Amino acid sequence: MNAPRHLFRIQCIGCVSRFLGTPVQRVILTGGAHLQTPGSHYSNGQFLRPFHCSAVCSTSRPNQTEFEKAVEHQMQHKDKTLVTHDDLFERAARDSKTKADFNRVVDVFNKADIRRRGHVEFIYAALKKMPEFGVERDITVYNKLLDVFPKEVFVPQNFIQRMFNHYPRQQECGVQLLEQMENYGIMPNVETKVLLAQIFGEKSHPMRKYQRIMYWFPKFKHANPFPIPHVLPSDPVELARFSLTRIADGLDAKVTVYQYPSTDITETGEEVTHPHIIGIQSPDQRSLLAKHNPCRPVYVEGPFPLWLRKTCVHYFLLRADPIPPEEKVEEDFDPEMIGPEQSLFYPQRVELDLERDFGDDESFYVDDVEEGAVYAMCMAGQGDQATLSQWISGLQETCPILGQIPTVFRLESGPRELQTSSDAQQTPEQEVEIDQIIEEDPQRTQGVNQ
Amino acid sequence: MAVSRRAFYGVIHRQPLLFQSTLKCSAILSTRSIYERDYRRPGQPPDTRWPWQKIHFDFSKGVEGIKNHIGLLKDEFVQRWTGPEGRPLLEHMLEQTRVQWEFRGPESLDQWVVSSDQEIGGHSVAYIKLGKNNTTCFLYGTLCSTPPRDGETRYSGYCTLRSKQPLASFDRKKHYDWSSFNTLHMRIRGDGRPWMIPFSKFFLSSRGRIQDNQHVLWLDKVKSIGFTLGDKADGPFQLEIDFIGLCNDLAHTEEFAYELYKRNPEV
Repeated sequence: MNAPRHLFRIQCIGCVSRFLGTPVQRVILTGGAHLQTPGSHYSNGQFLRPFHCSAVCSTSRPNQTEFEKAVEHQMQHKDKTLVTHDDLFERAARDSKTKADFNRVVDVFNKADIRRRGHVEFIYAALKKMPEFGVERDITVYNKLLDVFPKEVFVPQNFIQRMFNHYPRQQECGVQLLEQMENYGIMPNVETKVLLAQIFGEKSHPMRKYQRIMYWFPKFKHANPFPIPHVLPSDPVELARFSLTRIADGLDAKVTVYQYPSTDITETGEEVTHPHIIGIQSPDQRSLLAKHNPCRPVYVEGPFPLWLRKTCVHYFLLRADPIPPEEKVEEDFDPEMIGPEQSLFYPQRVELDLERDFGDDESFYVDDVEEGAVYAMCMAGQGDQATLSQWISGLQETCPILGQIPTVFRLESGPRELQTSSDAQQTPEQEVEIDQIIEEDPQRTQGVNQ
Repeated sequence: MAVSRRAFYGVIHRQPLLFQSTLKCSAILSTRSIYERDYRRPGQPPDTRWPWQKIHFDFSKGVEGIKNHIGLLKDEFVQRWTGPEGRPLLEHMLEQTRVQWEFRGPESLDQWVVSSDQEIGGHSVAYIKLGKNNTTCFLYGTLCSTPPRDGETRYSGYCTLRSKQPLASFDRKKHYDWSSFNTLHMRIRGDGRPWMIPFSKFFLSSRGRIQDNQHVLWLDKVKSIGFTLGDKADGPFQLEIDFIGLCNDLAHTEEFAYELYKRNPEV
């Protein structure tokens, strides 16, 4: 009355039915019923043991945690594997979701069955749960998941197996795992390669995928000349400083902190929060603003979005309309720079581009789009007019002409969810007077640029 | 079909943009030609109509079409006497820069097609309009990378601006011939700088997957140019383009940035 004999019987009946056609259907049904009786008998008594499962794994270990026991119980009474594995992770995630918890679930699965039954479903479920546990950017976790695959079982043994897709579901699963690594920008390491070679062999699809990643990732790693770090500064002031220097990429541009974020309690007991205001202005912009015609207004516009990977910050501009052609002043060059008394061999002003030849033409036959000058940029904790007029009054200290120029606020009510959480965690020593202005050189304080 | 859908992609990054404005016009159009089958979403029944059942006969449209095509045919014959592509030979030979697309009016937007993952069932939206003073093309919308719930599609979230392929008379396809240039020159709203991408940096990819067999871009067979956003950062986006030109950067001598001498991965 053992199970393999029943399996054999079913196969025999199947063969017979293929030869004889319909009349045997009833016989199969009875055969199936005959098979089911011992199974149900088993499930009444102890556990339902799968066919190829060795007896070793079913012996209960003495020092098992409650979670592991529950998992093992579940593994043995599974009916739909994918659901069970999802459950497995949810059970582990009930109290905390960390890398250790994730690793514990994988360990439990590895220990539960020496044959690693249902490992493909388990890996798919684990891949889906990775962002939840916060381990989606961790190469060691990916390697640990790859380690779940049984070794040397799926390696093709001869050329026919190699020619046809050997164990396609498992290979697909391996490719899927590597694809998730690729999507999160994780570069595989040597351990991944060794594992893949052990599991799938040298010329399998996952191995190919690994080779492709290893070829293309280093090529595109430094494709962006202005990289953004994965972890952005949590301090809104630091974040604003980083973003502003990123937009206005001039070496001499000065970042000015007009106001640090702070919370004051007034005499009546109300809490007044001062949002942070950080601006940037280069000397060129400053001199342009000094030359601005005071009859014409300047505009404060915004908020405009700036994306730093998955974070969106907003900034504001101080700009003017383009100067009409009748008001344009042709600026002469300094006669000292181009006069005849200049040395022929060491001229102070050279109009040559040494990378270009004389015949090279770099100009395009296209109408130039005239746009007004941008005088300054800022990022603020709140996008209302009161905050931005503080910025303008701060700008007046360096550009007194701004007091005579009418300023028009053209603000749009855009999405304003800007660094909400970090405002609360300000320490008291960061509280600074409103009009205190601290000037810094952005390039030297920019530790964030990689 | 796979070959015709292949595209070369350059490496462009999402750049900070400065301004916004208010005009609006455009809709989502299909980007496929009649010979390529449309993308069939999982769960949709296949189109079983015969080819003649898809023809909509319209007399006025026919007259319009004949006028249009005869005009194009006449141009083809007459322009040949002036020089290649209707320009004098000297101009053609000495040309170092060319403005291929510029946005200076509503009719310039007709050469472009906007599409997003709505055609595969996603939720991103993309629109195109003329920017401030009608001198720029303003692409804006919202990216949403939630995949459609059809059980098969795993990834979603893209928005694309793509130029239409030029057509000669009687809907014959033409190609741009850019073989005398080596760099794409674009003026995009970022920080006002032009963005130049050498053609040597373009790589071959098909349906979003980089191909193993790479090849130098065939500059005399360029069908269209496209900008695709798919960086999985959900939220609004905008891109403003002033013009797209070509130039011959003699300081750039690289032919192809990726290896050609062996297949990747090696077989």
